[in-house]
Amino acid sequence: MRKQRRAGGRALIGLVFLFLYLPIFLLIFFSFNAGDSSAVWQGFSLKWYGELFHNRLVIESVATTLLVSLLATLISTVAGTFAAIGIYSLSRKWRDPILVVNDIPMMNADIVTGVSLCLFFVAFFNGWGGFARWFNGVQSAVELPTRLTLGLGTLLIAHVCFNIPYVILNVAPKLRQMDRNLVDAAQDLGCTWMQAFWKVILPEIKPGIVSGALIAFTMSVDDFVISYFTAGSSTQTLAMTIYGMTKKRVTPVINAVSTLMFLAVLIILVINNIREAHQAKIAAKRASFEPVRQPRWVEQAREWLGTRRGRAFRRAAALAACVAFVVTVVSLTAFTTSQPVVNVCSWGEYIDEDLIDEFEEATGIRVNYQTTDSNETMYSLLENGGADYDVVVPSDYMISQLIEEDMLEELDYSQIPNFSQIDDRFKNLPYDPENKYTVPYTWGTVGIIYNTTMVDEEIDSWSCLYDDKYAGQVLLINNSRDALGIALMYLGYSVNTTDEAEIREAYALIEDAARRGVYQGKVMDEVFQTMEGGNAAIATYYAGDYLVMLENNEDLAFVVPKEGSNWFVDAMCVLKDAPHFDNAMKWINFLASKECNLRNMDYIWYASPNKEALEEYPAWYEEQYEEELDPEIYEIMAAPDEVLDRCEMYVCLPQETRKLYNDLWIQLGID
Amino acid sequence: MSKELIRLSDCVMSYGDDIVLDHINLYINDKEFLTLLGPSGCGKTTTLRIIGGFLSPTSGDVLFDGQRINDVPPHKRLVNTVFQRYALFPHLNVFENVAFGLRMGQTVLDKDGGRHKEKVPEDEIRARVLEMLEIVNLKGYEKRPVTALSGGQQQRVAIARALVNRPKVLLLDEPLGALDMRLRKDMQQELKRIQQEMEITFVYVTHDQEEALAMSDTVVVMDGGRIQQIGTPEDIYNEPRNAFVADFIGESNIIDGVMCADGVVEIFNRKFQCLDGGFEKDEAVDVVIRPEDVDIVPEDRGQLKGTVTAVTFKGVHYDTIVDFYGFKWLIQTTDFCPVGSHIGIKIDPDGFHVMKKSKYSGMFGDYSSYSEEYDELDEEAADGDEE
Repeated sequence: MRKQRRAGGRALIGLVFLFLYLPIFLLIFFSFNAGDSSAVWQGFSLKWYGELFHNRLVIESVATTLLVSLLATLISTVAGTFAAIGIYSLSRKWRDPILVVNDIPMMNADIVTGVSLCLFFVAFFNGWGGFARWFNGVQSAVELPTRLTLGLGTLLIAHVCFNIPYVILNVAPKLRQMDRNLVDAAQDLGCTWMQAFWKVILPEIKPGIVSGALIAFTMSVDDFVISYFTAGSSTQTLAMTIYGMTKKRVTPVINAVSTLMFLAVLIILVINNIREAHQAKIAAKRASFEPVRQPRWVEQAREWLGTRRGRAFRRAAALAACVAFVVTVVSLTAFTTSQPVVNVCSWGEYIDEDLIDEFEEATGIRVNYQTTDSNETMYSLLENGGADYDVVVPSDYMISQLIEEDMLEELDYSQIPNFSQIDDRFKNLPYDPENKYTVPYTWGTVGIIYNTTMVDEEIDSWSCLYDDKYAGQVLLINNSRDALGIALMYLGYSVNTTDEAEIREAYALIEDAARRGVYQGKVMDEVFQTMEGGNAAIATYYAGDYLVMLENNEDLAFVVPKEGSNWFVDAMCVLKDAPHFDNAMKWINFLASKECNLRNMDYIWYASPNKEALEEYPAWYEEQYEEELDPEIYEIMAAPDEVLDRCEMYVCLPQETRKLYNDLWIQLGID
Repeated sequence: MSKELIRLSDCVMSYGDDIVLDHINLYINDKEFLTLLGPSGCGKTTTLRIIGGFLSPTSGDVLFDGQRINDVPPHKRLVNTVFQRYALFPHLNVFENVAFGLRMGQTVLDKDGGRHKEKVPEDEIRARVLEMLEIVNLKGYEKRPVTALSGGQQQRVAIARALVNRPKVLLLDEPLGALDMRLRKDMQQELKRIQQEMEITFVYVTHDQEEALAMSDTVVVMDGGRIQQIGTPEDIYNEPRNAFVADFIGESNIIDGVMCADGVVEIFNRKFQCLDGGFEKDEAVDVVIRPEDVDIVPEDRGQLKGTVTAVTFKGVHYDTIVDFYGFKWLIQTTDFCPVGSHIGIKIDPDGFHVMKKSKYSGMFGDYSSYSEEYDELDEEAADGDEE
């Protein structure tokens, strides 16, 4: 009976550990997979690690993470140690409450810390702007920057903030264990307080400082939530990059990054644990007056370090360590903040990344390439401040909204000779009638993507999105404009209607379908993973993205429904007061070239507005891959006129209609 | 005795309303062994820390060799301290602990009254440390980690560490508190020997009156932040100034009495001959009778008659509690008197010590609820929390 129970307990513990570690082992295992599946083993390979080291986003964010973590650890360790000493020299009446206050930030939800820091920074920047303008006005000797943004600096401050409590938490017990008379004794023997600190306090609390620093470092490397809110738009830590990657397909590159990150943190933790166990052993021996015996070589090494030569060696080693640290920090800083730069915000998987490298090599301008996943998300980023992009790539209707709100800068077309290669079809469109602000980047259509193995009819109508037959199988597109626009088209209204009754009717259609359980969820870029994995039957998304999915799942089909659809243009614009305007011009001109358009088309499968590039693409494809481009694919990518004829472009809606869209979308609230 | 070295002049130490030291006046002579004696919380450690420079008095002056040193930090004073529980540096071995002060440089007084540090050459450090270790009987222990030493050995390291700097004054804060009885007795001898050999002023803090009596040239009895009495051990014992001192130093029966005239004191309505004088006629006084000054005689020959209520064997003598008219006395005698026996007592004139009434009158000296006067362990624990 008892034995049985014990066996049961063991099995339970086994299961617990299995659940804890199996996912991690799977992740590590599949990081060595030769194929790009996360479920089917296709042989051993290191190719994802190789790819990792060629992924500029990853490399950059690793550098940022290391820089921020190292600096934050250094600053918070020094500050936290002195804070702990200060707290310990207070009377108990003050000390205990302060230590409780110190604990709160560690238990506080990260998201609260992150949001509050973000709000604080933004509020400060606003105040600063006013002050700097006033200051620059009253004197001309020093020119203060009027526009501060979230970035490396705020990220560092945030990390220092959340690290200090951990350092204090680790140093405090060592101070408590320390005989308080030691400091008095040292001073009595001729030390000033500072000398006593170096010669007596520091050696005594060193174990606490080291574990505090190690924990602070791990916390920094590990942090996602607080960084997300304080890093701003042009800085990304590794955790943020990984998060960004998961929004698209989970490629084994993520497995590889995660594996390396897991191992790095594991190594630090193991070192820390071994150290702590060792310290505990020494402390126990001290308490029982037992001699602490070190291995022979340790004794010998100690002795040698005590000699004159040893001391010189120690000094040299310390100096070398300092120099190494400074060099690391300086080179990381140089790497992450080297000038000149251009800050770009685009969509995920929306560029052949080799082009970025080529641009950087050709011009020496570093491209800070960030992504977001919908026009609405990007708009709120810009509106809230804290984004310091130069170039953004919004869609047509969002562009007209940005122009209306005076958020865009007029372009200097003399610096963009490649603009002449843009097909006239894509110039002077309604969103930018005089074409002062934009250079088109891609265009395409919205349509239905469906899995032919899960659907037994030829789909040609939006009706399938509201059909009980596909309950739980449909993915609703997660932006109000597209989702409501599709419903409006299905009902036979204009996608640009401002009639509240029509919009409400469209909304009722979606809400009713949602209530009946037709939708599996609201998705944007997650659609790739779900559709490729065959986990949903029907989705609505962009033609170019369908073609990417098709590469990974041949069962998928695409249709622009008979009721008509939306056709869109995404264009490159420059934000008002962009800090790097000239660099932005170079970047835009570069991407407008035929070569770039061809390669982008090939990579992202979105149609190019570059006339020659679009026309020559099938030939170029044949040359590259020595096989003919499937004309059907070409047609889906670059929709022919008969398809475009039944499509409508979005225009910017008036303020009250936008508000209605927004309110309805929040009201819908399914996930 | 020789010349004055340290003077505390009207020193007050207070934290808000809490007065820790209440107008202390005290001088310490060169090469003197002075003990600050008192119960925990009496201000003795505070006084020591003021001399060491760890505390600055709220008001009053600290003079060293006639120079005001209130604002001289500890590391510039020609004073070293042996701390409670030693405060050795755990990360250094015996040699480095002792050498610590020398490595920081020797404080030298300039002619203009300033102070500066002078580096001590490595050879000299080595020689002085080894010499000091020899004095404290720790030769051969240089390389041991201090954490591997016994309590007594750690104590010696602490003393060596302080003395190697050749301070003018050594401050010792209950240095023997953590040692067991035997070791404590040995160390008392040892400390006295070192003090005499090195001719250094010792200021010693303790709550152990036996220790104070055995080692000191001068004892300063403190209570409630005030000095109760200063004197040689003999003075303090034989001529306590008030009931507190009488009770704290040794055992005392303290009885209310009336001074009828010089040399005549009345207790229990009986007149006794004594050696004290100089009081007003019929002044109410406290009368101290030490337990060992009482002779037990047959009942009919006694000056007072009483009944034995308790007897404890103490080795050399018996602690006998005797009830006189409802007031219980402690008598130490080599004669065994069984409980319940009726006895008489006789006291010689020099057995009486008459004191003026004080705020302590009536608080001490009654053995009605006789037990060990205080529990030493409790006291030590309480002392540790003092600061």
